[in-house]
Amino acid sequence: MASGRDELLAHYEKMFEIRRFEEEAARAYAQSKIGGFLHLYIGQEAIAVGTNAALTDDDYVFQTYRDHGIALARGMSPNAAMAELFGKDAGCSRGLGGSMHFFDVENNFLGGWGIVGGHLALAAGAAFKSKYTEDGRVTVCFFGEGSTNIGGFHEALSLAGLWKLPIVFICENNQYAMGTPMSRTSPLDDLTLKAQGYGMQGDRFQGYDVRTVQERVGLAVKRARRGEGPTFIEVETYRFRGHSMSDPAKYRSRAELEERKKKDPLVIARDLLKEAGVGDEQMDEIEERVEAAIDACVKFAAAAEPAKEEVMWDTVYATDLSTKRGAGR
Amino acid sequence: MRELRYREALREAMIEEMDRDDRIFLMGEEVGHYQGAYKVSEGLLAQFGEKRVIDTPIAEAGFAGVGVGAAMVGLRPIIEFMTWNFSFVAFDQIISNAAKIHQMSGGRLKVPVVFRGPNGAAKQVASQHSHSVDPFYTNIPGLYVVMPATPRDAKGLLKAAIRCEDPVVFLEGETLYNVKGDVPDADEEEVIPLGKGRIAREGSDCTIIAWGRPYYTAMAAAEQLAAEGTECEVVDPRTLRPLDTDLMIESVRKTNRCVLVHEHWPYGGPGAEIVDRIQREAFDHLDAPILRVPALDVPMPYATNLEELVLPTTQRVVDAVKRVTYA
Amino acid sequence: MAKIIGLPKLSPTMEEGVLLEWTKNEGDAVEIDDLLAEVETDKATMEFRSFDRGVLLKILVPAGESLAPDTPVAIIGDAGEDISELLAQVASAPAKPEAAAEASSPAAPASPAPAAAPAPASTAAVAPEATSGERVFASPLVRRLARERNIDLRTVSGSGPRGRVIKRDLEGVQVAPARSAGARPGPRVVKASPTRKTIARRLTESKQTVPHFYLTIDVNAAPLVEARRMMNSTLDGDKVSFNDLVIKASALALRAVPAANASWMGDAIHFHQVVDISVAVAIDEGLLTPVVRDADLKGVLAISHEVRDLAARARNKKLRPEEMQNGTFSISNLGMFGVQEFAAVINPPEGALLAVGALRDDVVVVDGQLTAGKRMKVTLSCDHRVVDGAVGAQWLQALQKYLEAPASMLL
Repeated sequence: MASGRDELLAHYEKMFEIRRFEEEAARAYAQSKIGGFLHLYIGQEAIAVGTNAALTDDDYVFQTYRDHGIALARGMSPNAAMAELFGKDAGCSRGLGGSMHFFDVENNFLGGWGIVGGHLALAAGAAFKSKYTEDGRVTVCFFGEGSTNIGGFHEALSLAGLWKLPIVFICENNQYAMGTPMSRTSPLDDLTLKAQGYGMQGDRFQGYDVRTVQERVGLAVKRARRGEGPTFIEVETYRFRGHSMSDPAKYRSRAELEERKKKDPLVIARDLLKEAGVGDEQMDEIEERVEAAIDACVKFAAAAEPAKEEVMWDTVYATDLSTKRGAGR
Repeated sequence: MRELRYREALREAMIEEMDRDDRIFLMGEEVGHYQGAYKVSEGLLAQFGEKRVIDTPIAEAGFAGVGVGAAMVGLRPIIEFMTWNFSFVAFDQIISNAAKIHQMSGGRLKVPVVFRGPNGAAKQVASQHSHSVDPFYTNIPGLYVVMPATPRDAKGLLKAAIRCEDPVVFLEGETLYNVKGDVPDADEEEVIPLGKGRIAREGSDCTIIAWGRPYYTAMAAAEQLAAEGTECEVVDPRTLRPLDTDLMIESVRKTNRCVLVHEHWPYGGPGAEIVDRIQREAFDHLDAPILRVPALDVPMPYATNLEELVLPTTQRVVDAVKRVTYA
Repeated sequence: MAKIIGLPKLSPTMEEGVLLEWTKNEGDAVEIDDLLAEVETDKATMEFRSFDRGVLLKILVPAGESLAPDTPVAIIGDAGEDISELLAQVASAPAKPEAAAEASSPAAPASPAPAAAPAPASTAAVAPEATSGERVFASPLVRRLARERNIDLRTVSGSGPRGRVIKRDLEGVQVAPARSAGARPGPRVVKASPTRKTIARRLTESKQTVPHFYLTIDVNAAPLVEARRMMNSTLDGDKVSFNDLVIKASALALRAVPAANASWMGDAIHFHQVVDISVAVAIDEGLLTPVVRDADLKGVLAISHEVRDLAARARNKKLRPEEMQNGTFSISNLGMFGVQEFAAVINPPEGALLAVGALRDDVVVVDGQLTAGKRMKVTLSCDHRVVDGAVGAQWLQALQKYLEAPASMLL
């Protein structure tokens, strides 16, 4: 069990890193150091970390605009992530994407996407490439339960099911599509019933214990890698913060939130580690290491060079236009 | 040189490129077993197999997105829309995704995808199937927009589009597929660079700028005017984004007058954009206001007499040239 | 380590927030994400949750205050910590929240000035028309060619729409060489406007067919100056001019000597029974003569208002034709230009016209003494066919009486 314990420790450390990263991002946002939209993943960390543990480094991952968690889980440095939030050239997208558009090509994290339902077909495209080139990779595509009502969801799952693409669709059901509970948007309680319509496997579980996520996503990934087609997974979760920083989350009661916080994946992992005999000292060591890294990333982001105008012009087109400053002249 | 139809020229371009690079595939509705709704892809399935010539369900948003996603990770998809009218349900994939990815990723991802298919009014297919979509896509930084008029340009530009590292919107003329024209011999590869226009006819009295089907209207008007002693220079920009501004400016500096002919509506679009560039960069060379001969500002009617009224005609072009030459 | 907590920015557009209620009390333990207060922003009532762990040591701002983001609102630290220094810092505004945390972090470098934005391709500014009064419409190409070849576009007639000068119109146009000592440019040719043509025709007709003769008198204008001063002093901002007084005096003189208020109509003489005075107004294209009807019946102020209105509308070309027709007598005044006296051309079919010279300082004899006075010359142009010398002279006498004793105009 020693290896299992070490793995859980590593998972805990990553989840704690994501939690502390976002808490500091929220602080920086409140200080106007971060602008635009900031969607926090706090409460959902077990899904990103558990899923990543079920993947290889070569596998492709797509996420919505709530993308900090999976980016860090994939291995993006907190420095690159925080610098992006601060709009700096050292950011993972050179300050051009911001919170919603993290990219990390080296770690095969292919984006935070801002239009609900818009990225599912892209993920199917990446999986299509794996099938076309037989590269053995699997694509994981995250989205919220709110996406399951939009056309892009249906077309992507339809094609992925038709072509048996190596892809796992993970619906992070955090109960609210912005402010609307699922009871008011879906005729189904069990979203995996939809999987049948696209000729794919469905699975459904709670996403509070990182080990459960790792195990169940792992089964779907194995199926995809064996060429047995896609899986649609619905994971029950809960976000502790509002939809974005400007959402006061009035649509739910404080009592509900406090009840849900009892299933905080970090608390669960901590309890499991305690049971497994991990002492306070070891936990403190992990937390100190994370605190130092997060503290450093905020300082790094604050001191980093601002985003560059020439990069803005140079990245409109990949081709070398004679006048990059605009095809629009 | 030999004579080919526009559709055959497009088909040759795809065959040659697919032979050269097996990352290229063709995907769309009816492209395979049906041999293409407009027979552009006729024979491709037999030649390249189901792996590379892929029939899709009716799901433009889905397969356009698959094309963009596949391009992000290294393939070079050709996505066929049965007509560009159907691209509107895939608008989000082209605009929010394809055109944004390179910049949004800080330059780290590229999207070498070609979206192609027939554009513009055919004959009596009424308002939902008669759009000239060039204004919608030319407005988007991050996209190339190409609109060839002749078989030769169709082939040379499609080859360039397939080789382009950026997303290309390739607008074929629905009524041009049967047009015949000279195309270089099969062993003479011609890749026409994107963003370069062409002087189709030289003249000193007035520049006529036209692309796609209206190119032929412009040429007919130029012939008619030549018989009356007015020599028009016809310029086909061929690529609408980026525009070959220098070529057009140079021509207007020579002729001092300019008329544009386009199938899109008058409100904005490349037509208005070109007028803007010319008035800015050739202001002191203009002897008359720049006039446009666009489609009339109405949804396309079904009745043939009304449809003929809406589309640019030779006579409307002749009249416009006479006005700017004060004839 | 204790730190000052600033009011967070709780929406992307928040510029101030009202701290509605503290949900923690001083001394309470605080966890990260614990609710500290409710804040009303531009968007909604938002939860102000803690970014820090510790004890709420001090609430700096009571509920109900409206605050800008970053305003220090509380101090959080360890239980029992000494916060006197932070309190002093807050007191000596402008305190910076989280000063303690910031102190050790490297200062963010000042952002370099953004590179100058690429200017859109611009064309050279078009030189304004040098001295033209009237705008010449010409194509941009023609304007450039005119600049290059030194062609005065006012000398070229345009064949394009609305008279636009186009390239073709420059063919064969003589290039005006830059003026040098030996070179002598010909006249600048300007097409006559319809108004100008009408003026020319009517004046020619008048001077060729009407037998003019002229009578001049020099009046003592001191009483007029005094009368005007007194009138204007009662008008509270409004005022009348000398010309208004001359109009009124002339109208009364026409009543006194009605023979001067007459027109030669070919085979009859019309003796007018109304006094309608045409007033000459200079406009860009020449001269217009709007008419003050029944000037004998109107007060000076009413005349003054009417003349101002007519003159303004004459300059804006807003006069109706009937407002310029059927006067019975004209007055033209060039006094404001310093002209002492002049003989004007009659405005047919009126029988006479009064030309008014400048009001001037002059030496006058009062009671045998030379003294400084005010004088003004007026010249009556008469149509000898209807106004003979004696009639003209009588009329001038009547006018002089009114001008030298303005109060008599009240009788």
